[in-house]
Amino acid sequence: MDKQTVISAKHLKKAFGKGESMQVIYSDLNIDIYKGDFTVIMGSSGAGKSTLMYSLSGMDKPDGGEIFFDGTDITKLNNDKLAVFRRKQCGFVFQQIYLVDKMNLMDNVITAGVLTSKDREDIKNRAKELFSLVNIPESTWRKTSSQISGGEAQRAGIVRAVINSPNVLFADEPTGALNSANAGAVLDVFTSLHRKGQSIVMVTHDKKSALRGNRIIYIKDGKIFGECDLGKFEQDDTERTEKLDKFIKEMGW
Amino acid sequence: MKLRIMNKVSTLTLHNLNKAKGQYISFGVFICLTAFIINIALVLAFQTFNAYDSLFDKLDTADINFIIPQIQDNEDLLTEMEGIDGVSFVEKHGGVFMPVTVREFAGSDFDMNTVFYNLDEERTLNLIDVTEYSGKSEASVYIPMYMKELGGFAEGGSIAYSIDGKEHTYDIGGIVLEMQYGNYGTGLIGGYFPEAVYEDFAREYSEHVIAEYSLKTTGVANLNEMKNTISEMLREKGIALLSINDKDTAKQTRTMVCTLLIVIFLALAAIILVVSIFLSNFRIRSAIEGELAQMGVLKAVGYTSNLIIAGAVMPYMLVGIAATVMGIALSYAVLPSVAGILAIQSGFSYTPDFDIMALLIVILTLTCAILLFSYISAGKIHRLEPINAIRGITGDESAGQNILLFIVSFGIMVLLSFAGTLLYNVNVKPDNFMNTLSEELPSVIFTAEDGKMTELKELLENDSRVRLVLEYASVPVSYEGGSLTAFVCEDFSKTTNDICYEGKSPVKDNEIAIGNPISDGFPIGSEIELTVGSQSTYYIVTGYIQSVNNAGAVCQLTSEGYEKIGGTTNSVNVYLYDKNADEFINEYEENYDSIMKSSVNFEQMSENGRMMYAGIVSVIVVILFVISVLMVLLVMYVIINSMISRRRQEFGIYKAIGYTNRQLTVKTALEFIPVVAVVSIISVIAGLWYLPAINSIIFSLIGAVKNHFEVSVWILIVFAMMFTAVAFVISVLLSAPIKKITAYSLLKE
Repeated sequence: MDKQTVISAKHLKKAFGKGESMQVIYSDLNIDIYKGDFTVIMGSSGAGKSTLMYSLSGMDKPDGGEIFFDGTDITKLNNDKLAVFRRKQCGFVFQQIYLVDKMNLMDNVITAGVLTSKDREDIKNRAKELFSLVNIPESTWRKTSSQISGGEAQRAGIVRAVINSPNVLFADEPTGALNSANAGAVLDVFTSLHRKGQSIVMVTHDKKSALRGNRIIYIKDGKIFGECDLGKFEQDDTERTEKLDKFIKEMGW
Repeated sequence: MKLRIMNKVSTLTLHNLNKAKGQYISFGVFICLTAFIINIALVLAFQTFNAYDSLFDKLDTADINFIIPQIQDNEDLLTEMEGIDGVSFVEKHGGVFMPVTVREFAGSDFDMNTVFYNLDEERTLNLIDVTEYSGKSEASVYIPMYMKELGGFAEGGSIAYSIDGKEHTYDIGGIVLEMQYGNYGTGLIGGYFPEAVYEDFAREYSEHVIAEYSLKTTGVANLNEMKNTISEMLREKGIALLSINDKDTAKQTRTMVCTLLIVIFLALAAIILVVSIFLSNFRIRSAIEGELAQMGVLKAVGYTSNLIIAGAVMPYMLVGIAATVMGIALSYAVLPSVAGILAIQSGFSYTPDFDIMALLIVILTLTCAILLFSYISAGKIHRLEPINAIRGITGDESAGQNILLFIVSFGIMVLLSFAGTLLYNVNVKPDNFMNTLSEELPSVIFTAEDGKMTELKELLENDSRVRLVLEYASVPVSYEGGSLTAFVCEDFSKTTNDICYEGKSPVKDNEIAIGNPISDGFPIGSEIELTVGSQSTYYIVTGYIQSVNNAGAVCQLTSEGYEKIGGTTNSVNVYLYDKNADEFINEYEENYDSIMKSSVNFEQMSENGRMMYAGIVSVIVVILFVISVLMVLLVMYVIINSMISRRRQEFGIYKAIGYTNRQLTVKTALEFIPVVAVVSIISVIAGLWYLPAINSIIFSLIGAVKNHFEVSVWILIVFAMMFTAVAFVISVLLSAPIKKITAYSLLKE
């Protein structure tokens, strides 16, 4: 069965700086993201992984090209329309988490939830379900980010990201700031969401994280250098691990 | 749809309110203070003048009152006055008019022209409202409220008058509220005797018995013109006009301090409002900078710039509105006291009521100002790209802590310098203040017997205690636009108070300098025709002079110039080296009675006037000081609080490498001192330029175009040093939360 394209980017251009100090990130990049896929973008530092992900999600504007997100060219949207687009279509998980400090976990989630729903109780109920899904006990909901562990905070960050049932969940190095136990728990949440049909785009340079995805894209020299279909994630699947090892070795990582 | 937007904004608003309670409280205090002061100023502006007019109408006070010797009065005069165009009703009252010295008026003698009336005389004009003392004796006098408020006399006490060297002591039977005279500035004060006492008194001073004509008009706009007509009529009949006053002049004089207070309060409120706006601007910019990543996340999850801005602005709006309402409410708690202070100078009291117009103006002004400026401050959020925000790139410079501190410190120094200058010129150099509000400030004024002027002058000039003797008199003259008070002097270059603010005082007999209100029609170099009695002469205008008396309708003439229209004067200003006018007068009255008609202890009168203003100025200065200290406290709180939260990591690192709390606290406090010190130095230098300008603006509003205030550089330096020291101490105290930062907690964060 053909996969349904949710994001289609054509001839993307992006550069930072001007004149002699200008650094071209990509000059003619084309990429499609498919519905239901857990797409992992890998590449060396400075390859433009995060820049690409933020362009695809409407967080950053490319210098040229088109990005069709669910049929809409988001490069044509102004800042306010992009904000409305993001609240309906995207969820974000950041490496540094960025929960709003001094706001408890529940309020952090509600702050995002009120953007698409007018019923606060509905949002709360959905937040409770999601907190259960990511294994955050009720006793923690009223705590602030400084009162909980990094893993709990990141899982709360995921709840905030999916509270509005986004079309695509974007994650930028979501385990980059966590220890291995916490990172594992966070990745389990991503896997669980993916299994429920959530489309995910994750940027990572961590092999363990990448293994959770079913489609690996490798960026090099501003282009998609290679792509690998890992198939469905299973715990302790050595075949997948070997396949990924082989792929990234071929990519010269 | 609106509800959904409110739902989104309220989430952010509540969060913002919660996370920086202290900052919003300090902002609220500022706005509360601003609303408090503006509301006081507006209520005073809206109600004092109305209360004055209401009381004026309630007591059926005449528009013009004039006094002539009873001996020169005749039955036809009443009819003639009624026949003047614009006069609707005329009533005649009896009285005894004379210069008196009130003993123990606020602790010293007080010389004042006084009209004693028969309290029981039936009248329809110039009614009085009497608060009677229940235990009054037979020999009672009823005194005007001004004597109670400023003089310190009270119902049940007694008052002593010295009249023509004779002492009269009366029990005070009650306090009289009247709108005819009122205070020192109106030039006359009333005294009211019960009929039996009055008759005895009038018998004793029969040569001073007068007839007072009180005229009600049909609403004539130019009362000066009518006064001029009356003066003309009396002159033609050879009747001496002892005094003439009108309601406009009395009102202006009695509400002068109120006007001054309103101007100062509004200026003060404007400064505090500007500081508040800078403070909210600083706070919002700091918040944007300190929470850049969180702003980025909000944008990432779908908040539009306008929603985030609304979330940032709304807490200021809510706090602003609540603080405004609180400030307005608090102002009503002190307004009766403020009105009480004003009663000292105005001689009438009223209780300020709730004023809906003032409330609406204060709320609208402050709300619009807060909305506008906080929106502009938060406008930076529009330019914030979410991904850049998350990465900590603002594209702008820092929040401008030093700029804020500079502007606020300068504002506070302006307040302190103004307060210091006011204090210095009222208490240390009182002549400067009195010269601004008066014409000449001699020690004594002597009036010579007819033909004895030369003899008296020679005598005084040979007295070693006398610094200067100057022929000087205030006389009524008229011109085409009405009547003027002419200051006639033998040589204006010798006067001690130069009231000429443009051009020059007259030197020749055909020259004249005129008051500010009539200057429009008569440019310098033009001619103005003056009339005294049946004689008229043209004078060339050489300059403009100022006076807060007679609504500024004044002029200067040389003695020779005055003689050209048949006028003569026989009074001299005597300026003594030492302050012993009382003793000096007594000696001259004893030894030279034959050449002297009367004397006025002007030294005492000036002192009385100064005392009245000193009391009011002290209240203003204390208010300014308290507000300044409060402003320093709140501004430093906001700045230091923002700085500590921004630089937590830096402080943690300092602690990790061994800095003590004390070292960090002092180090932080010292960081502000360069800006404060630079502001202090600039303020001292700039103050020499801007303070005269501020004083000019304020005093010109009450008719004193040219003020004599001295700006003492030493006072400015002392205040600048005090300000720097207070700012440092406050900074040290407010930097105390640095103690709570630990290196470990930062690692955990």
